[in-house]
Parts: sequence; structure tokens; C-alpha cells
Amino acid sequence: MRNAALWFDRRFGLEEHTIAHYAWVIVAIAGVVQMVGAAIRMAFGVLVDPLVAAFGWTPGSIGLAYALMSIVTALASPMSGYLGNRFGARRTMIAGTVLFFIGMMWTSQTQQIWELYVAYGIVFGISQALLLVPVVPAVAAWFRRHLGLGTGIMMVSWSLGPALVIQVLAVLFENVGWSQAFVIVGVVGTGTLLVILLFFKNTPEDAGKVAYGTLETDNPLITSGNVFISTHKEFQGFVYKTNAFWNLINIHFLGCVGHAVILVGIIPLGISKGLSPLTAAGVLTTISIVSVATRFGAPVLAERMSPKRVMFVSFFGQGVGVFLLLTANTTLDFYIFAVIWAIPYGGEGTAFPVLIRKYFGHTPMGTTYGWQLLGAGLGMALGGVIPGMVFDITGTYIWAIILSAVFSLAGSVAILLLENTRRQLIPNWPEMESKPVGSEIPSVTTGSAEPGI
Amino acid sequence: MKSAVPHQVIETTTPNLDGFEITRRPLIGFGLLISSVIGTLAVLIFFGAWASSDRIENRALAAGISEIQGESEWWEDGLVFACPLH
Repeated sequence: MRNAALWFDRRFGLEEHTIAHYAWVIVAIAGVVQMVGAAIRMAFGVLVDPLVAAFGWTPGSIGLAYALMSIVTALASPMSGYLGNRFGARRTMIAGTVLFFIGMMWTSQTQQIWELYVAYGIVFGISQALLLVPVVPAVAAWFRRHLGLGTGIMMVSWSLGPALVIQVLAVLFENVGWSQAFVIVGVVGTGTLLVILLFFKNTPEDAGKVAYGTLETDNPLITSGNVFISTHKEFQGFVYKTNAFWNLINIHFLGCVGHAVILVGIIPLGISKGLSPLTAAGVLTTISIVSVATRFGAPVLAERMSPKRVMFVSFFGQGVGVFLLLTANTTLDFYIFAVIWAIPYGGEGTAFPVLIRKYFGHTPMGTTYGWQLLGAGLGMALGGVIPGMVFDITGTYIWAIILSAVFSLAGSVAILLLENTRRQLIPNWPEMESKPVGSEIPSVTTGSAEPGI
Repeated sequence: MKSAVPHQVIETTTPNLDGFEITRRPLIGFGLLISSVIGTLAVLIFFGAWASSDRIENRALAAGISEIQGESEWWEDGLVFACPLH
């Protein structure tokens, strides 16, 4: 039995890992931050009917708040990434938490439609960027190796958070009304974020530890101080001159349009084909649940194989998979689609941090990742508009499905034009030339040498 | 797990970047991004013009007049003008 366990450990590389490392605490905190930060965005759908009932506003005018929030989040993302690099992810996320509280309280007391636009669209939009952008680069800083594993575990919360919060909000709306529900979620969410951020450390050095996967032979990285700031500016200047930087924004945009069309349009499409609202919602839930597997698996595979290959397969699968909807007429058809399409969809967006690490080494990736989320946010906003717009014009969703495929497949072509990931595009993020005299890294974590990609 | 690495601002140079430069411009990456922006605008203009011409046509039918005689919004005219297919 013991031999079998040892074989299993060796076969899957588990002997390289340990759970006794603070990096996993950071991953858990990041998961909760992502859950809280993204959940209210995803749960917007349950807010529409109560607001229509309470104030008589049209669904279209209420939906404008969602579109505004998506665009504000997108536009604030590059600045948020920069702030994360400059002042640290923790301070940036605390600022985001304060805005989260203000946005939730103000939304709960909304009496006029413009208040909804300011509170939900602008305040909450900025809050989301401050919470969601710096957290991914901060997790990356905690992994010298095995970033794919850390990212994969964190990204699972993208699926679980909304699924959980939608249910909680639905129960609260039913029992205490929409206004009190926002107060409760705002207070509990803010309290949770403030408590867990007490334990958040921006870098391993801040916590007096070494990054996960650091070997005894690794030179330490420059992660703080004046040299860090000046060198980062110089490094970022080089990043802007690479094709990959601009193309990754483009790829994120195309991929997000591709899946936003489906995520927003699948319920009305299902209902238009005769599915009950509950059954149609079940299709969306199925997509969320099945995509958990590839949200976790894609970054792990990307690190072991090639991020370009994994991303190409995901984008291509996402694009081709939507054609199943053209012939979907029964409940079974829709659920088969949900299971098949969720696999590439889950892997579409989660390998980006690994790809950035391959191209730009151990540089703080906040600004670069923030720019990519600008593309993603604009893509989500556009993709959310397309199904309704196309249906209003044509009376069917066929064009929306075709457009979704076109955007995803264009993204897969753009991935093919990315640079090879075998070499970094810019010399590695400055390491100290050698270990400073008298220093040592006594408790080197587990980890093997990084495989060539 | 405590690291004994001293505060790292003692380093004043960044040797790995010294002398490094990128002379080529990111034409492929930037070009792909701009292509997507243009393609997206084209899609939006096409569907926007489609919707606009439908609205103009429906109003004209309801009023029993020709499309040219009917009044239209500025954005409807703009989208129909911008789209070569409408």
C-alpha cells in the first residue's frame, strides 16, 4: 500500500508539493476576494425584477447600470494593476473593500435611477477593479514555480462564488427584500474581506518567507524598494514594445465576447426553444459546474505543456462548440451543449497568468494583467449586448451564435500568432546577481526545475 | 520558513536589463488589436444600420408614407449612412 502511494506521488509529481506553505493561505484569500468581488456582478440578474417592481423602471434602464459597471471596471483595470504594483495588492484591495461597502449601502438605499448608475455602475465598478485585478498578480508573486497549480485552485472560485451568492441573494430577496439583502451582503462581505486581508501579504519577502517552489540555487528577486520601482518602470516600457502585450489584450477581448454572448443569451435562447425558465437556468448552472474542472486544469496543463497550445484548444473548442446550439431544440440538446461547451469555456481565461510568466518571467504582472482585463471587460460588455440586440433585429438568436463563434475563432487565430513561449521576451525580471554575503535561504520550499515549454 | 535575505534595496543596478533594447515595433500585436476593434465596429454598424432601417421602415408603413418622407433620428441616419450594406 505504501509503495502504491509512493508510486502515485512520483507519477503525478505530488512529492514536489507541500500544503505547509503560506502561499496556499494567499491562494485561499484570493479565492474569497474573487468570490465576493465577482459575485454581485454575476448576481445582477436577480436584482432586475425587484427594482422593476419597486420603482417601475424598465429592465433596459436597469440593465444600463450593469453595462456601465462593466465598462467602468474595464477602464479602471490598468490603473488598478498599476496601483497593485506601486502600493501593493493589500492596500489596493482594502481601498476596493471600502468602495464595495459604499457601493452596496448606496445601492440598497437607491430611490432614483441615477443613484443606481452612480452607486452600482461607477462606485461598484471601480471597487471591482480594485479587488479583482491586483489579486492574481499577487498570487503569482507567491509562486516561483507551480504557478499553474496556484492559479488553477484560485480560479475555481470564479465558478463557485457566483453560484453560491446567487442562491444566497435569492433567499434574502424573498425573505427580507432587495434593499435589506444588499445591506446584509454588504456588511458581511466587507467584514469578511477586512478580516481575511489582515492575513494577506503582498510578497513572500513581506512575510519573511520564500516563494513556493524556490530552490536553493535560485537567486532572490528584487521585490521591493526604490530599485524595484525604477526597474519596474523600465521593464514595463519594454513590455509595451512586445507583440504579445497587445495581442493578449486582443485575445482576452475576443474570447470574452465569444462566451459572454452565450452566458447572457443561453437562458432566453432556451426559453425561445420551449424550455421552462427553470430548465433554462439549469443549463447555465450546468455550464458553471462543469467549467470548474477546466478552470482548475487549464493553468496546470498550461504550465506542464504549453500555454499557447492549451489556450488555442480552449478558444477553438469554445468557438466550434457553439454551433451545437444551431440544432438544439430539446432539453437534452441544451444539456449536452452545456457539458461539451463548458469544457473549453472553463479553460479559456485561466491560463493567462501562466502565459504572462512564460513571456515576462517573474516581473510583477499587475499592469500587464490590468490591461488584459481592460480587453476582457470591454469584451464582456459587448458580448452581453449582442444577444438582445440581434434578437430584437432578426427575431432569432442565430446571428448571435454565429458572432460568438466568429469572435472565439478569431481569438484562436490570434493565439497562433503569439510568440513562442520557449524563451522570455525580455531578460528575466532582475535577480540579485548573487546571494548577498551572509544571507541564505534556509527553508527552501519544494519544487523541481521548471520544464522547458 | 523564515528567510534571512536582507532588505534588497542594497542593489543599485539592474544588470539583466542593462544594454537591452527592443528596436522593432509591435506591429503584429498592435495590428491584430486594431483589426479586432475595426471588425467589432463593423459588426456593430451593420446590425445598428439593420435595426435603424427597420425602425424607419416600420414608422413609414404605420404613417402610410414613403421612407424618404418620414422623419428619422440622427443616430438612425448616421448608422444607415455609415453602413455600405444598408
